[in-house]
Amino acid sequence: MLHGLRDVVRRQDVILLMLFFVMVVAFTAVNPRFFSVRAMANVLQDFSPVVLMAIGQTFVIASRGIDLSVGSVLGLSGVSMALAIRAANSVGMDPWVAIALGMSAAIGVGVVVGLINGLLITYFRLVPFVATLATMGAAAGMSLVLTGGTQIAGAPKEVILLGNATYFGALTVPVVVVFLAIFVSWAFLSRARFGRWTYAIGSNPFAARGAGISVERHLVKIYLISGVLSALAGAFVYFRLGSGSPLSGRGGELSAIAAAVIGGMSLQGGSGKLTGVVVGALITTAVLSGLILIGVQPNWQQIVVAALIAVAVWAQGLSLGGSRS
Amino acid sequence: MSRFRKIFAMAAVSVIALNCSAYAQDKKFTVAFIPGIASDPFFLSMEKGARAAADKLGIELVWQGSASEYSPQTQMPFVDAALAQNVDALVLVPTDPDSLQSGVTRAEAGNIPVITVDTTVTDQSYLTSHITGDNVDGGRQAAKTLAEQIGKKGKVFIMSGSPSATTNTLREQGFREELKANYPDVEIVGIEYANSQPANATSAINTVLLNHPDLAGIFAIDGTRGTGAVAALRNSNAVGKVKLIGYDAYKAQVEALQDGVFTALVVQQPAKEAELALEYAKAKLTGEGTDKIEKSVVIPNVVMTKENFETTKANVYSD
Repeated sequence: MLHGLRDVVRRQDVILLMLFFVMVVAFTAVNPRFFSVRAMANVLQDFSPVVLMAIGQTFVIASRGIDLSVGSVLGLSGVSMALAIRAANSVGMDPWVAIALGMSAAIGVGVVVGLINGLLITYFRLVPFVATLATMGAAAGMSLVLTGGTQIAGAPKEVILLGNATYFGALTVPVVVVFLAIFVSWAFLSRARFGRWTYAIGSNPFAARGAGISVERHLVKIYLISGVLSALAGAFVYFRLGSGSPLSGRGGELSAIAAAVIGGMSLQGGSGKLTGVVVGALITTAVLSGLILIGVQPNWQQIVVAALIAVAVWAQGLSLGGSRS
Repeated sequence: MSRFRKIFAMAAVSVIALNCSAYAQDKKFTVAFIPGIASDPFFLSMEKGARAAADKLGIELVWQGSASEYSPQTQMPFVDAALAQNVDALVLVPTDPDSLQSGVTRAEAGNIPVITVDTTVTDQSYLTSHITGDNVDGGRQAAKTLAEQIGKKGKVFIMSGSPSATTNTLREQGFREELKANYPDVEIVGIEYANSQPANATSAINTVLLNHPDLAGIFAIDGTRGTGAVAALRNSNAVGKVKLIGYDAYKAQVEALQDGVFTALVVQQPAKEAELALEYAKAKLTGEGTDKIEKSVVIPNVVMTKENFETTKANVYSD
């Protein structure tokens, strides 16, 4: 029994969750406003796009890859959606049809970029870092070309309602969809053959091939998932802002990778859990609003976040060392 | 006979003279115009103004700049290329006052007139002119408008983009100076930097609204911050309760002004800056109208509100 408890405490995601609670208590002690439904609503809204990109990153990193294009895909899908909805709106189309059209445009962007990533890596044999660096630049450039650098407004009221109307004080439609996405991805990754194959490829691609896994096909699917989830993040940022900005998502890949690394993903592939990554994303987004609430000077905030990344990864190293001994 | 020769000679001279003047009319001056960053909306408006002015003045305009980065490292190659092409004049938006000085010095060696727009270089002695919008004044206008809208007292917040970009810091400086000098009862509760993403500004403002439920006003320092602020006010049901001053007048901003989310916009005139720069360039090159050239010109900002929109709408940036 005691042994079982020690195992639970040593789990990385449990350690992270404890870290998160310590953080919440500390922030609340300085400023009680941090512990409120509205603060939670704010954190959840910031959390949504980051966790979607981080889930994609989890699949990719588990397979020993990296996807640098997620932030740019977020931006490009957001402006594509904004352009589609503006066009549909200007010819007097029903707003919900326009939104459906915009959603398809956004997801389409994710599919296309994800597919290109997958093919560059498997068919053209580029290493993931280089392949996704290329699509990251291309997608960011494409956002600027499509918009001419300006914000795309002209969304019907329904867009803003969909992105901002809250239920039970904290839940918006996008937040609910994000929870569903987390659950489905968790099931795929830790309860299905899809996940076992992903980790197998990450641990040893040659052995995986030997075991009869069609590595190339599987990798293409993984980058497709990452692209589509980032596109969904782009759609949600658009719902929140009510306009498409070509600058949205800039640097988003770093938040996503940070969340994944804090969450215990090993960049060597083959290990790490989605539950840890989800808590990692929660910590990185909650800490920013916490720091504002306790009055930390803005220039110090990124230093604190950086220190937090180091501490979180170090704490997990401790637990890993402990379980080995 | 001699009379005939005289007439013939006169005719010949006048034909040559005519040809000459025709040549002078046709000779298109090539002017290189190098913006800070080609993809930025502010510079896109400047580009539109420059192209229209170039057409009107009969100038061959070479508009080239870094697509994605506002930095001397990315701008310098464009200056080098323009000087190598031997353009007749150079209009430059220096991304750094010291680093771009060398470009101006080399232009001087090649006897190419230089005009700086929006920002300038450290040593302005060689410049034909320096034309700029006034960011400190823009910040002051924002402070004054906001203070009046909130009844000269209450808490306000600054949503900035970057602690190092001069456009942001100068606006902030003007905003703080004006409040300190004339509105002692207005308190600045804080400033946050959103870096490049508008959603970061939304998060920051949502949090500040939570911490200061009695917040009276926000100054969103540029267009990207403005988009984030608009979403935050809608998000927190604070439209109308919290006065919001934005900067620049792109279509999206003007729509939000008409919806009552922005209570005022401080508007620059980038197209006008470009137009004046090219007029000066032409005057300098042809020698006609050089007396009209002023060494230093400040193009004033316009404060646009829902109430004065009819009289200020000419300043909306073209799409």
